[in-house]
Amino acid sequence: MAKLRVLYETGEPERIIEFDPALAPFQHDGEPGSILDVLLGHGVHLEHACGGNCACTTCHVIVKSGMVHLSENSETEDDLLDKAPGLTPTSRLGCQAIIDGGEVAVLVPRYTINQQV
Amino acid sequence: MSDLTTRTETEAGSAVSSGPRAAYEATVERIFRHTPDTRSFFLRLPDGLHLTCKAGQFISLLLPVAGETLIRPYSIASSPEEGNLLEICLNLVPDGPGSHYLFARTVGETLRFTGPWGTFVFDQLPQAECVFIADGTGIAPIRPMIRRALASGQQSPVQLLYSALRECDLLYRQEWAAYARACPWFVFTPLLSNPSDGWSGLCGPLVEYVERHYISRDGDRSRHFYICGVGQQVTQLRDLLRRAGYQRRAVQYEKW
Repeated sequence: MAKLRVLYETGEPERIIEFDPALAPFQHDGEPGSILDVLLGHGVHLEHACGGNCACTTCHVIVKSGMVHLSENSETEDDLLDKAPGLTPTSRLGCQAIIDGGEVAVLVPRYTINQQV
Repeated sequence: MSDLTTRTETEAGSAVSSGPRAAYEATVERIFRHTPDTRSFFLRLPDGLHLTCKAGQFISLLLPVAGETLIRPYSIASSPEEGNLLEICLNLVPDGPGSHYLFARTVGETLRFTGPWGTFVFDQLPQAECVFIADGTGIAPIRPMIRRALASGQQSPVQLLYSALRECDLLYRQEWAAYARACPWFVFTPLLSNPSDGWSGLCGPLVEYVERHYISRDGDRSRHFYICGVGQQVTQLRDLLRRAGYQRRAVQYEKW
């Protein structure tokens, strides 16, 4: 089993999802087993304007812990993150970062929710 | 996908949503058939709704298919200056529920969307030769970029390298020819991968052409590239150009 903890910069209550990575995909948007896939598949919204196809930055999240449990960034993801507002050293795109197990905590930035980028 | 359900209200131009993102309604005003499997949809926004778009951005259509709301991004092929009439251009994708849904739409129907979105944008012409590379319907976001580049008044060299399967798949061809006549600094280079016998222009793989003309031919690495198309070819071009010495941020792309 794996655990995904979601914190919100807006102050919304955090969400904790426990799931079995082997059961991915949990729905049809984003990479199977990605943060986006896990969230949507468990009824938790994360913006993904391009449909989870690595073509925008609206699913930008900031990894607070558990980076070691996430897949490597691709160059395409890095190029998009390069244009994400509020980029941090631990920024990832939710549609691309695949959780392979363990415990991961991510912060959903305020501008991910409120800005159209 | 209950997280994406939206509530429609009747006020024109109102951003209506019980979900996380405001959605708008647009009316299909016109449908243009480029080829049997490629169409442009002209979407009229409600009076009073003014979207602030940048050349190259897309909207995300929210399509009700099989009891779900599919999110499908489509680049805006019209210019931001065209006001509240947006053009999207797409081809019918085999087994693609989004494009099949859209190809079944008729004039007067409404579509819901969010946006504009996207960071593959063109704000101003760089002080360098600018090469736009499009493959097939990848011309959609490139079109407003070229219009913006040519309208800037700056006479830096601008090239459109447009790859398509057949001659009929070269969209907006008359527009490119007209720009080439009006702006001597604009060069339109069509390239076909499966030409008919009567085609006298360039043919062959896009990646090979790019390697010959922008890498092997000279040592100039100051050009800026804007690339859009379908599949791995786009990232192949990105890697090819960056590895040849073009600056990372001078190679912008959108891969569908």
